[in-house]
Amino acid sequence: MVNGREDVSLSESEMGYIRNAMGREPNPLELGMLDIMFSEHCSYKSSRPILKLLPGAGKRVVVGQGYDAGVMDVDDGWVVNIRMESHNHPSAIEPYNGAATGIGGIIRDVLCQGARPIALVDSLRFGPLKSARSRWLFKYVVKGIGDYGNCTGIPTVAGEVEFDESFENNCLVNVACIGLARKENLVLAKASHPGDLLILVGGSTGRDGIHGVTFASKVLTDKSEEDRPSVQIGDPFTKKRIVEGTLKAIETGYVRGLKDLGGGGLTCAASEMAAKGGCGAEIDISKMHLREEGMTPYEIMLSESQERMLFAVKDIQVTEVFDRYETPYAVVGKVTDSKYLVVKHGEKMLARVPAELLADPPTVERRAIKPLVKLEKTKGVPRKIGMLEILSSQNIASKEWVYRQYDHEVGVRTITKPGDGDSAVMMLPNEKALAIAADCNSGHAYLDPYIGGSGAVAESCRNVAATGGEPLAIVDCCNFGDPEKPELFWQFKEAVKGIADMCTGLEVPCIGGNVSFYNESSGTGKAVKPCPAVVALGLVNSLDHITPMQFQKVGDAVLILGETHRELGGSEYYRLSGIDGGEIPKIDASREKRSIDAVLSAIKSGSVSSCHDCSRGGLGVALAIMAIRGGLGATIELEKVPFKDLSFEEVLFSETHSRFILTSEEENVKALMGLLETSSVPFARIGKVSTTLTFRWQNEEHDFPIDRMTSVWENVIPKYMEGGEK
Amino acid sequence: MREYEIDVIIKNKPIVKDPEGETILKDLIHKQGYDTITSARAGKLISLRVKAANGEKAKKITYDMCNELRIYNPVVHTLDIKVKGE
Repeated sequence: MVNGREDVSLSESEMGYIRNAMGREPNPLELGMLDIMFSEHCSYKSSRPILKLLPGAGKRVVVGQGYDAGVMDVDDGWVVNIRMESHNHPSAIEPYNGAATGIGGIIRDVLCQGARPIALVDSLRFGPLKSARSRWLFKYVVKGIGDYGNCTGIPTVAGEVEFDESFENNCLVNVACIGLARKENLVLAKASHPGDLLILVGGSTGRDGIHGVTFASKVLTDKSEEDRPSVQIGDPFTKKRIVEGTLKAIETGYVRGLKDLGGGGLTCAASEMAAKGGCGAEIDISKMHLREEGMTPYEIMLSESQERMLFAVKDIQVTEVFDRYETPYAVVGKVTDSKYLVVKHGEKMLARVPAELLADPPTVERRAIKPLVKLEKTKGVPRKIGMLEILSSQNIASKEWVYRQYDHEVGVRTITKPGDGDSAVMMLPNEKALAIAADCNSGHAYLDPYIGGSGAVAESCRNVAATGGEPLAIVDCCNFGDPEKPELFWQFKEAVKGIADMCTGLEVPCIGGNVSFYNESSGTGKAVKPCPAVVALGLVNSLDHITPMQFQKVGDAVLILGETHRELGGSEYYRLSGIDGGEIPKIDASREKRSIDAVLSAIKSGSVSSCHDCSRGGLGVALAIMAIRGGLGATIELEKVPFKDLSFEEVLFSETHSRFILTSEEENVKALMGLLETSSVPFARIGKVSTTLTFRWQNEEHDFPIDRMTSVWENVIPKYMEGGEK
Repeated sequence: MREYEIDVIIKNKPIVKDPEGETILKDLIHKQGYDTITSARAGKLISLRVKAANGEKAKKITYDMCNELRIYNPVVHTLDIKVKGE
């Protein structure tokens, strides 16, 4: 509370900083603008000092961290850009529009650099589906993403879903968008030419979403359900026109800076563009296209109405394009050389704040303390879980119910579709392809956030490698609780360190990210399990390298790459047997790199017929899914798997990193094994593809018929969502 | 117990944007020259038959059902329950 105003959450020291920078007391409008820009959501004031750890450099990086999206060179003059963001808080109170506008926002981030959005990715977390509320959130989040993506003609090609009690009140909705552009057409969110016109294009400005960001920087309370102004409504058809209009406008060559309006509305877009370009900006709010009557300057400057973009252009002629696409626009101001963001109504001055002060608030040093977690030690032997039970876990079960609601082929670039490979593969215009995978294991991250962060990078990079892509770059989306609690801030710090170290080890730059704090419920005071979600991009250099995940042919040899250790902590196996602690899978970036390099060279040699990494559910689940998806089985001599002193269940379900399963046609096996010999990665030939899944162990055979596994694995989620199972 | 005919009308709150209504207004009504029509809001109508002792109770059953099954979301929608013949 500042100056008796309850809606302002600036601290006393922030107020002191502001008074010092402005040399006076801010007026109420200025205070509102500063408040929104100093919020965690816009300023990253808690996280910025930690995020500096992330390595952002790489030879293919065109635009790195700090812009709307990271841009990577994919050869022949083509670039791809990617951005990932959370939309957790809005989705928790209005799942349909919350998720839809999450997609809307992420599309704009990619579009505003001049790239055509070509793919969407969603990384979702909910409470277990036995709860009616979780089912409601899950159903409408998926529908919101599907409807918006499908209407705008952008395929949703990859993603992940995790269910855990900790997400019951705070679902996590993380979305990423990937765009494609010619390098010469890239535009940055900069206003660096005084005199350029500022044009606001797209939807009208209304009262919706006012204070969405301050809302996202708070803990959800019971009153949040009525926190109506923070909810925005998606409008995908308007978005489609904006996408096409924007791309055409950029082709005219008149556009010199462009930014989308998201959190913080026009205040954020104008001040950040001005500050990045070392200029100022002047906005006349009387020129704006408003949807409601009687809006105050405060509401206009802070509105988060959807589908809006701010253009800095050198020539008014560009508006012909907007007319052609029936996209409303208004010339709302101009770029100045004053370094101030000035807000006027006609001739009347309403606010004058240094752009730099708005765009670059001081950071906050948060305390990070390692919590004294008392995790249950694994007492004796956990309850035995069988293969069918693990396949029927919501986390392992088929996610077809989700992705079948998404158009994953619109745009005809999708080569590897959801469920057919470890990552989605999209065609690029230069006879190369882009592999895309999203991963995070909050169970691991809860036990050890460092391993959770590094493991998410490792797994997503393994996934792009398994389909034939060389890991190109990652983006991350960190979802944590209240950063003002030292134990929770420690989780965040550790997770970022983990991401940074694995990126360095794998030589993969982190080209952008998003941090969402305050994911906890006031009712229980419980934060979500830490969730550093990662999306990796991989460059597939030749279409011949694209490798499926499912078994291809009876008689193919099955090989495993990497050693298996007793590492069931945080595993699906322990989750099902009700154990929280245990030995968490270790992380070793150099081992990970060797495994990934070995798999890539094997794939490039042409001797791999299918490939899948071992992650959630371990070797057992990996083999089961290769079998189910291929409609074939395999006979596996489990004792041949490289391990020391493990039980049957431990070999099958331990979640040790750096492991892959490969299959190879009989005539290529010798060459493949010769190649792997040179890789210094332990590997073994463990069996061959057949028609049923059989594990041989100590002279016994454990059989799992494919149709039985398939019906279990495929029906878990539909049973909850369509059968109304309680 | 008699059976009541009930109409449930769900619309976006007046303050909330309504893209469907806007599209109908802009791309259909106005493009066809109906300039005197100045606003269009779209919504959903569900007609129910509800057994209850009286109209008030029928309305209550409907209201509770809509809340419990999340037929609408109070955050963005208005819910209007009309009991016919009352």
